[in-house]
Amino acid sequence: MALRVLNLVGKEIIQFARDRLLTAFLFLLPLLQLLLLAQATGQGITNLRVAVLDLDRSAVTRRLTAEMDNRDELVVRYFVRDEDELRTLIETGRADAGVIFPQGLAADLFDPARTAQVRMVVDGSNSLVGSVALSAVGAVLTDYGGERLSERGIVAQSPVELRVTTYYNPTYNTRVFSIPAQVGFITYQISLAVASLGLARERELGTLEQLIVAPLGRLELVLGKAIPALVIGAVNFLLMLAVTIHVFGVPLRGSFALLFGITLLFIVCEIGWGVLISALSRTQQQAILFVFILAMVDITFSGYLVPIQNLPLALQLIAQAVPMYHYLVVIRTVMVKGGTLAAVWPHALALLGLGAAILTISVRGVSRKLD
Amino acid sequence: MSIHRTLAIAGKEFRHIFRDLRTFFLVTISPAFLLLTLSYIFALDVQQSELAVWDLDGSALSRQYVAVLTADGDFHIHQWVSSYDEMEQLLLNGTASGGVVIPAGFEAGLRAGQPVRVQAVVDGVDPISARQVVFNLGQRTAAFAVQSGTQPIVSAGGIELRSVVWYNPTLQSLISMVPGLMPIVLCMPALALALALAREKETGSFEGLIATPVRGPEYLVGKLIAYVSNGMVAVLLSWLMAVLYFRVPFRGSLSLFLLLGADYLLASMGFSLLIANFVRSQQTAMFLVLMVFFIPGFFVAGLITPVSSGGLGSKLVAYALPASHFITISRAVFLKGVGLVPLAVPTLALLGMGAVGLGGSLLMFRKRLG
Repeated sequence: MALRVLNLVGKEIIQFARDRLLTAFLFLLPLLQLLLLAQATGQGITNLRVAVLDLDRSAVTRRLTAEMDNRDELVVRYFVRDEDELRTLIETGRADAGVIFPQGLAADLFDPARTAQVRMVVDGSNSLVGSVALSAVGAVLTDYGGERLSERGIVAQSPVELRVTTYYNPTYNTRVFSIPAQVGFITYQISLAVASLGLARERELGTLEQLIVAPLGRLELVLGKAIPALVIGAVNFLLMLAVTIHVFGVPLRGSFALLFGITLLFIVCEIGWGVLISALSRTQQQAILFVFILAMVDITFSGYLVPIQNLPLALQLIAQAVPMYHYLVVIRTVMVKGGTLAAVWPHALALLGLGAAILTISVRGVSRKLD
Repeated sequence: MSIHRTLAIAGKEFRHIFRDLRTFFLVTISPAFLLLTLSYIFALDVQQSELAVWDLDGSALSRQYVAVLTADGDFHIHQWVSSYDEMEQLLLNGTASGGVVIPAGFEAGLRAGQPVRVQAVVDGVDPISARQVVFNLGQRTAAFAVQSGTQPIVSAGGIELRSVVWYNPTLQSLISMVPGLMPIVLCMPALALALALAREKETGSFEGLIATPVRGPEYLVGKLIAYVSNGMVAVLLSWLMAVLYFRVPFRGSLSLFLLLGADYLLASMGFSLLIANFVRSQQTAMFLVLMVFFIPGFFVAGLITPVSSGGLGSKLVAYALPASHFITISRAVFLKGVGLVPLAVPTLALLGMGAVGLGGSLLMFRKRLG
C-alpha cells in the first residue's frame, strides 16, 4: 500500500513541477505576502491624519498641536482656515479627524471662572479609526491638564495607585500579535488550496476514471492527494517561521517541536476540508469558490479580528469547530508566551478531534462520489 | 467586432453559470451570503474582558472595589485566585486577559488616609486589547476612589474635549464593517471569471473556439458581459442585505452606488482578464487571485487598519488594489452620503484599472490567436 501511495505522490509532484509558474507561486508568494502583510498591519492603527483649525493661535494651541503630532497614532497633516475646509477634508476621506481650537482658548484656560474647550470632529465611518483618534486626542488633553495642575503645585494623586505589569509583550509591539496570525492564515490558504483541487481537477480533465480503474483504494487515493499538500504546507510554514523570527524579531519562546507538531495537525485538518470540497465539487471552479467561502468564514471566526469570548454563545460554539481558532491560540501561546503542552493541550486535542472527524467524513465523501 | 457573436458568447457563458445551481450560487448569491456571515461577527460591540482577582485583604472595601471594577460590564471576574502561579496559568492559556492583586491592608490603609497600591497584570500579546484593559482598569479604579469617598474631588483645571463623531455617532463597528466588507465579498464574480477563462484553456475547449469565426474582443467582451451582469445582481443583493437585514444607514443615492459598483466590477474583472492571460491552469489562477484579491483585501486595503498606517510598500500595493478604492467609495456612499465629485479619485482609479486590464488583455489576446 505504501508503495502505491508513494507512486501517486510522485505523480502529483511531477504534475506540480511541470507547471513552473505554479511551483514558483507555491513557494514565493507566501513569503512575499507575509512581508506585505507585516508592513500593512505591523504598526497597528497609527498615523491617522488630523486637520487642525486653530482660531486661537496661542502658545497653548501650538503646544497641543505638537503633542498630537508626537503621538504615534496621529499625524497633523492639514492646517485649515475654516470649518468648511475641515468638512471637505473629512468628507473626501483625506483626514480622519479634525481638531478645532476655539478663539480665546488660552485665555479661558488661565481664567478660573471659565472652562476651556477643544472641539473635535471624528470620521466614524471606520469605527476603530474613530475610537483610536478620540482616545489619542483625549490623552493629549489629559496629559496637558495634569501637567498644568502639577505646575500649580496641586498633586492630583489618587489614594488607590494602580501599578500595571504587562506580561509577554511589555513594549506593546503589534507585530508580536499580527505576524504569527498571518503565518497561520497563509499556511492555511496554501494547504487548503492545494488539497481542494486534486480530485476536482482529475474529474474535470477526465483522468479520474483512470485513477478509479487503477488498483488504488479510496484511502490510498486520498492519502496520495493529501501528502503533497502536507509537504507544501509544512515547507511554507518553516520558511515563514524563519522570516518571522529572524527578520521581524518575533520571539519563539516555547518549544519548536511542539509548535511544528501542532502545525502539522492543523494542516491535516485543513487538508481534510480541502479533500472533502474536492470530492463534492464537479468542477475546479466550484471547488475554488467553495475554498474562498470557507476561508472567509475561517478568518472571521479565527479570533483575530474579534475576540471569541465577546461573541454570543451560538457563534462561540461555531468558533470551536474552526481549526484556525484553535491554531491561532496555540501559535500565539507557544511563540510569544512560551507555553508548553500543559497550556495548550485543550486546543491541541480539539485540532486532533477535528482532524480525525474531517478526514473520516472526507474519505467517506470521496468513496460515495467515486462509486 | 460583431455584436451578434459577442452576444452569442455571453449567452453561452450565461448558460454555463445557470446550468449548475452550485455555480450560480457561487457567482451571484454567495456575496450576499458571505456578507451575512462575515458581518454577523461585527454585530456586537461589547468588549468584555475576563479578569482573575486575588484578594489578599478580604475586607468590605476590597469587595466594594471589585464590585466597582465589574459594575459597568467592561470586566467579568473569571476566577478568584490565591497565588501568582494560578493567575499566570490563566493568562498563559488565554482564559483571562488580566489580573488584579489587592494587597493585605487595603481597607486599613485607605481608612487611615494612606495611599494603597493595587497591582494589575495584563497580557500584552494583543496590544489593542491590552491598552483597553489598562485604560478601563484605571477608569474603574478612579471611579472607586470617588465612590468610596476616599478621594476629594479635585477640579481638573484642564481642557474639556467636546467631540462629535460624524456618520456613525456611537462608533458601532457593524455600521462601518458592512460597507467595508462589500468589496471583499464582491470579488467572487471576478474570481469566477478568471477561473472560467483558465478553464477553457485547461480543458482544451479554447482550441475549439479558435476555429470558430469569433474574434478576440468578441470573446472577452462576451465573457465580461455575462460576469458583470451577474455581478450587478450580486451588488444589488448585498446592498439589500446591508440595508434591510443589518439596517446600515444608506445616505447616498442607490443609482450612484450601482454605477460605482459596476466600476469596481470592471476594475476587478480587468485584473482577472490579465491574470487569466498568463496562467495555464485554474489552480494557478486561483493562487494569483487568492494573493491579489482576497487576503490583501482583508488586511491591506483599509478595512480595519487604514491604508495610511502602513509602510510605503503596503501603501503602493493598496493603491493598486481595486478593493481599497471601493472600500472608500462604499463607506462614503453608505455613511457619508456623498455624491460623485468627492469620490472622483477612487472612481477614476477604478476606471483606469478596468481600462488597462481590458485593453492589455485585448492586445495580448490577439497575439495568442494569431
